Amino acid sequence: MDDQDIQVFIAGVRRYFDSLRADERVVIEPPFIKDEERPLLEYTGIIGISGKTHGAVCFTANGLMLKNILGFLNESPSSRETLCDLVGEIANTLSGNAREEFGSDFLISVPVVATEDDSGFRFPEEGRNYVIPIIWRSEKAYLLVCLR
Amino acid sequence: MKLLIVDDSSVVRRAIERDLESGEIKEVDQAATGEEAVKLYAAKLHDVVTLDITMPGMDGLTCLDKIIGINPEARVLVISALRDKATAIDAIKRGASGFLCKPINPSELKEAFQLLIED
Repeated sequence: MDDQDIQVFIAGVRRYFDSLRADERVVIEPPFIKDEERPLLEYTGIIGISGKTHGAVCFTANGLMLKNILGFLNESPSSRETLCDLVGEIANTLSGNAREEFGSDFLISVPVVATEDDSGFRFPEEGRNYVIPIIWRSEKAYLLVCLR
Repeated sequence: MKLLIVDDSSVVRRAIERDLESGEIKEVDQAATGEEAVKLYAAKLHDVVTLDITMPGMDGLTCLDKIIGINPEARVLVISALRDKATAIDAIKRGASGFLCKPINPSELKEAFQLLIED
């Protein structure tokens, strides 16, 4: 996984938020290599990756951003279950879309969803773990790409 | 017309139902798993099925095989996040009538649905 591969995920993030046809475009800040801090927010959708590449792709966001997205999908009211469903679906979409570039050997799992209270997610020790900061309607989210 | 929507995400299922809402559709069923979808399809032989691929338990392509096994003329629109050509080609070879990528574009979905029912 290198800086060029990360562009595939950035394109996927842009495509996803553009599909909401919101009045504000998504802002994607420059990705960085993770430091000691884990930028996990209230809800995290985790997709396990296997095949030619191993690791995980995670989308993490606060409830407010997810509620905003649900609003654009004409979905209401937003229960905790619905927010978990949505964060998993976004992680699934962003991971699955990456197969456009990485091919069908980029195998994705079904989503596992964690909340800030029960997240056992840890960055892999080896390899470069990228964090892509996302800002949409003044709310921040992160896409974490941890692949070897 | 009977529609079966298969996706493990309830948010996606409801979005598809809203996008396709029309006078032509008289009955909508939803399934969260491939197993549930096969049972529903066998019982009701829906006119159109929208089918996700990545689901817990039976995946969408296996589900597609089973639906086509029940009715080789089944009209199945695969809607998946898997954005690679090989998967789309595989789905079509197995009998899918169409393939759309997530995130779902409502206009594309409506267009694909119209093409299916006019076919």
